[in-house]
Amino acid sequence: MNPVQIVALLFVLLNAGIFAGWMSQRIAAGRGAGSRRVGRLLGMTLVYEALLLGAFFMFLPFYWMVVTSFKDSETALTFPPVWTPSRNQYIHEDPKTGAELPVRLLGIQRSEGELVEAVPESAMEFRRIDVGEYSVTREEPAENAPRYQVNPAQLEQDVVMRIDGRNFVKAWYAPEVATRGGVNFGRYFWVSFLTGILSTAGTLLTSALAAFAFAKMSFPGKGLFFYIVLLTMMVPGQVLLIPNFLTLGTLGWLDTYLALIVPFLASVFTIFLMRQFFMTIPDDLWDAAQIDGTGRFRFLWQIVTPLSKPVFITAGIFLFLGNWNALLWPLIVTSSPEMRTLMVGLQTFNEEAGSEFELLMAASTMAVLPVVILFFVLQRFFIQGIARTGLK
Amino acid sequence: MSILENRRHRETIEAYAYLAPATLVLLVFWFAPVVLALLVSFFDATALAPPGELNFIGLAQYKRALFTDAEFVRSIWNTVNYSIYSVPVTLALSLLAAMLLNTQIRGRAFFRTIFFLPYVTTWVAIAIVWNYVYHREFGIANWLLTVVQQAMPWHSGEPVTFAWLAEPRGIWEMLLFEPLGISLPQLPGDSDQVLRGPSLALFSIVITTIWRDIGYFMIIFLAGLQNIDKSNYEAADIDGATPWQKFWSITFPLLSPVTFFLLVISCINAFKEFTPMFIMTPDGGPDYGTAPMVFHMYNSGFTGQWELSYASALAYILTFMILVLTLVQNRLIGRKVEYGT
Repeated sequence: MNPVQIVALLFVLLNAGIFAGWMSQRIAAGRGAGSRRVGRLLGMTLVYEALLLGAFFMFLPFYWMVVTSFKDSETALTFPPVWTPSRNQYIHEDPKTGAELPVRLLGIQRSEGELVEAVPESAMEFRRIDVGEYSVTREEPAENAPRYQVNPAQLEQDVVMRIDGRNFVKAWYAPEVATRGGVNFGRYFWVSFLTGILSTAGTLLTSALAAFAFAKMSFPGKGLFFYIVLLTMMVPGQVLLIPNFLTLGTLGWLDTYLALIVPFLASVFTIFLMRQFFMTIPDDLWDAAQIDGTGRFRFLWQIVTPLSKPVFITAGIFLFLGNWNALLWPLIVTSSPEMRTLMVGLQTFNEEAGSEFELLMAASTMAVLPVVILFFVLQRFFIQGIARTGLK
Repeated sequence: MSILENRRHRETIEAYAYLAPATLVLLVFWFAPVVLALLVSFFDATALAPPGELNFIGLAQYKRALFTDAEFVRSIWNTVNYSIYSVPVTLALSLLAAMLLNTQIRGRAFFRTIFFLPYVTTWVAIAIVWNYVYHREFGIANWLLTVVQQAMPWHSGEPVTFAWLAEPRGIWEMLLFEPLGISLPQLPGDSDQVLRGPSLALFSIVITTIWRDIGYFMIIFLAGLQNIDKSNYEAADIDGATPWQKFWSITFPLLSPVTFFLLVISCINAFKEFTPMFIMTPDGGPDYGTAPMVFHMYNSGFTGQWELSYASALAYILTFMILVLTLVQNRLIGRKVEYGT
């Protein structure tokens, strides 16, 4: 059964359900149910059908990504596509015991009748292998695994549905080959997490201070703020790429954590967001704090900040996401594999992996997972934060 | 008097202290670079040349970009086409989705989450997945085409499939003029695209963008819709207005500030787009037909000859275009927007 058939079935069920509901209502209501009701019902059905169709197109690529990340390379490259997490399994009869067991081929059959080495599927394991001067983690047969010489053309084949993390482990360690044992996705995740969290925290701090000054204090030059906001909104960040690249080069910060953190330690948009929120905090609180002898900094830290938790979370989400998703800047300022962020790592892997779609999809799933989890945990703040941007 | 003055003085100093960290970062990484980029664009700097041999060449980089660099001119076309085709469709579809979700239905949260999910996930991963979706042999885009064609009762022979990201032909040429048997005249240079439409390769990326942004726009539209006073509709119901009339005389005008805001923001973003093209067509697509301006800037400034000055000039051309676009939108449409309920 493929997704199109599933959606068609859902449509039929939906219509049948609505029709049944309508019939029962009609029977209960007697003859009173008029044509107005029918029109409303038809409208509702159309709404549901349109939403269902939309949801189908929105979700299909995700489903496709996750399903493919459980396939083997053969199943990932079939047409028409396979819609379940399936693998193509070769079955071999062990000559001694006579037991039929799934095997993995270790080579490719180049000519007809050529024998290829195979090992039992259960003997495959992830191991660190020395390749000359460096070592990589690869899926290899166990050292004491029985080896068979088989003719793939004569082997029985079986499509099995199986969900395991094999492709994820494979994709995780895949960059080790191209970087000569240097890095794997663990490193990419670490760089992205570290720079994301540090720059988000730093920006929240500098923005809260500046926003507090703009919202609650008076000083010469306060009126400039509006123009600064306007200017930074109009000028695209791309203009900054080259001068900032030169500045970082002069400072000797290229290819370091600093290059990924420091240029983003202030955000006019975040200052704006926080200022709007701070303005709603009544001045009475400040008067009361002054009577208690509280200074401004303590007031900001102990009273304003706890009250402004929602805006801190919302701004934090957007800053972290912006950092996590950035591609162009880290692409320009990093050169060694050790300093790649997850996005740059994923992009590099995309170039290297070619048509190994099952590994690419596994890597994409891994890259998407943290932000999707973040979204589900903080959904309320996401939606509110975005909804607010349109209503000014 | 002097106590008060002293106090104000201290407040000013304190305020400047609070502003200092953010201002320092903004000065070094925002305001100085904006000026520096303009200066750099008047020279002939490359990252490879020794710093001593820097020559002031005036507007030569701009002249070169606009009059001799055919690839850059093509990238301007690509950027404009990308915006023209992605922005209105996204706006229309997301408004539709928001209106469907603004009715009394079950499962609103479910649909909202599903529609919004693409926007949360990262562009790089999305682009990689869609690369596979558009795969010529094994992609589900072609599979979907095949399934739909085979379901048609009049279908016969091999179903038509597309090369998607590898297809240089224009979409109108492919979908409209060719099936009708109309052969198009060859217009000079890039203006050929006006009749033939943007390449299917670029349009494939447009589809991906629409898919990704619908949820984001939808959330903002939903908030706007919920802000509209219900009594407007009740009054219209009493007058016996049709849903169509209600939309055009209540919903659309009252929503116009939100729509205008989204139009401006999404046009600016479309002009700055880079990631999906860079991942899906790393070489700029067939006939350089998918490379947007930022892509060409990246290629000139950070690959090959590392022509930093030239790339700065390109960045300034982009800035200029965005400024003009935003001002024009403000002038032409901004006035018609109805503020206040």
